[in-house]
Amino acid sequence: MKLEAKNVNFFYGDFHALKDINMQIDSNSVTAFIGPSGCGKSTFLRLFNRMNDLIDGTHLDGECIVGGQNIYDKSVSVDELRKTVGMVFQKPNPFPKSIFENVAYGLRVNGVKDKKIIAETVEKSLKQAALWEEVKDKLKKSAFELSGGQQQRLCIARALAISPSVLLMDEPASALDPISTSKIEELIFELKHDYTVVIVTHNMQQAARVSDKTGFFMLGELIEFNDTKKIFLSPDKEQTQNYITGRFG
Amino acid sequence: MFNKKRNRFGETLIEWTLRLSGGTTTLVIVLISIFLFTEGWGLFKSSTVEKGYVLCVNRSNKIQNLTPKQVKEIFDGNITSWKQVGGDDIPIEPLRMDDIASQYTEEEIGANFEHLPQKLSEAIAAKPGALAFFPEQFININFQGRVLPAETITLKEYFGGKEWFPTATPAAQFGVLPLILGTLWVSIAAILIALPFGMAVAIYLAEIASNRVRKILKPLIELLAGIPSVVYGFFGLIVIVPLIRSIFHLPVGETALAGAIVLAIMALPTIITVAEDAMRTTPLAMKESSLALGATHWQTIYRVVIPYASSGIMAAIVLGIGRAIGETMAVLMVTGNAAVIPHSLTEPVRTIPATIAAELGESAMGSVQYQALFMLGAILFVLTLGISIWAEIIRKEPKVQ
Repeated sequence: MKLEAKNVNFFYGDFHALKDINMQIDSNSVTAFIGPSGCGKSTFLRLFNRMNDLIDGTHLDGECIVGGQNIYDKSVSVDELRKTVGMVFQKPNPFPKSIFENVAYGLRVNGVKDKKIIAETVEKSLKQAALWEEVKDKLKKSAFELSGGQQQRLCIARALAISPSVLLMDEPASALDPISTSKIEELIFELKHDYTVVIVTHNMQQAARVSDKTGFFMLGELIEFNDTKKIFLSPDKEQTQNYITGRFG
Repeated sequence: MFNKKRNRFGETLIEWTLRLSGGTTTLVIVLISIFLFTEGWGLFKSSTVEKGYVLCVNRSNKIQNLTPKQVKEIFDGNITSWKQVGGDDIPIEPLRMDDIASQYTEEEIGANFEHLPQKLSEAIAAKPGALAFFPEQFININFQGRVLPAETITLKEYFGGKEWFPTATPAAQFGVLPLILGTLWVSIAAILIALPFGMAVAIYLAEIASNRVRKILKPLIELLAGIPSVVYGFFGLIVIVPLIRSIFHLPVGETALAGAIVLAIMALPTIITVAEDAMRTTPLAMKESSLALGATHWQTIYRVVIPYASSGIMAAIVLGIGRAIGETMAVLMVTGNAAVIPHSLTEPVRTIPATIAAELGESAMGSVQYQALFMLGAILFVLTLGISIWAEIIRKEPKVQ
């Protein structure tokens, strides 16, 4: 499913957080957003499942289009949108439930009652998230008993269980150790076949490794958006060059 | 280099003052609880027969002792034969001072009761089934009856007794079962009433209300906790009691239900505040991830926020019960104070704190009743202490299902 931003301006109260952003994201690709802290990349990501609606005093101008529909249109159901556009957060945040119930959560809130379907989907999602082998014998155990890396993969499995078309990932590996990080990265690479993946990351090597296209943000502006190779090897803008070579940021 | 240069006398003084006041406060609290128990414990060592009085039987009677309960039943006419209390099959003839006085003329007794001991002695000797209750001073050396040993109340009688008649003669009854059950009955009913409302308000405040509304509403609710209980009692007496009387067509409106409603109102601030605080500790990330999975706000509340806050909510309930159990004045004013084991909500009941408040003023210091009331205080102390500890344990439970 394609994503598109048209003339997006976003405000936290009076603060102009995103300035005139236009972007097109292809389906079945991995797109990375990089940039210094506070540049607006997470804010931009969260626009696509309307997560910013939860923050008081925010305001959006412009259009965010998912699958051809402006998701900020009055006719759009936010719950339905979020079933199509899944999200994985920076910190692993499993629910205070069992491993099984964590993954089944999305199905249950969407009214799935058939136990067989739920069990199958949980297994499939955990396999997709490369967690099944590690947890298959302790599905009834609390999700808090897992390690941080396992918890994050559980959160990914949880997001996959409701079969979204788009997966937004907000620094999914920033709180993890290198081994867990590489597992997540492999996973992202796999997910590309079935999903449109957008990932925000602080880690430029990560962006270079996993993404097809990269967008560089600074101070609320999209400085440059291009193929990842191009961005990292020969960026058009000097600011991008400075950032990726570590001269600032 | 490291020599003391400044005189730290002031600091030392403050430190010692703080230590002293802390120590004194702790000591006072400990002493109060010790005092409560020692005063109360005397109950199990003193006779329930009124001070200065004795119970006497005919010498042919084989009965060795009578429990307070048996004595009461005999004088109430519920036990009529010695066989029922383990003696011979002879009818019991209770003898009080009045009975003796009416049997003899004034001359026979004497102007200063000087012949009374003689007459008593004769009366008891004449009746094999006699059980006399009269002042100890009228027993002389030639007494032909047998004085029964003074019986103390047992733990079993105190905690298992179903009757509370602290001023009954010849034997006062101190069964606390109706009081304990009355307290629990009213408190649990109060919690059942308060819980739905409390939870509703807590959820509203934690999840739905805007910041501005919460900033106004929350202090207001906390303020409710500070209103003196007598005011709540007054409100209950004027509004709730007549309402209950007319709704249920009762002769009196002072019932367990009235107490439960007033207590529910009083427990609400505790329940709301503690439950709301617990719900607000739910990490935003957890709520966000629920919403990101397509859950609605309400689904998020009851599937994530409430389970996450469940230990805090349980603590809120337990603290609410604790508040209700210890409440005195409001309950005293609206429950009707009949010391009977409750069977329904529309009957009067009497709680432990209300009993203490109502009776302590009338009991003689050091008397059995006084000690029984102190023992009630000790029970209440243990009950509320246990509940507080329980609430603390619940609150500290790990937040894992």
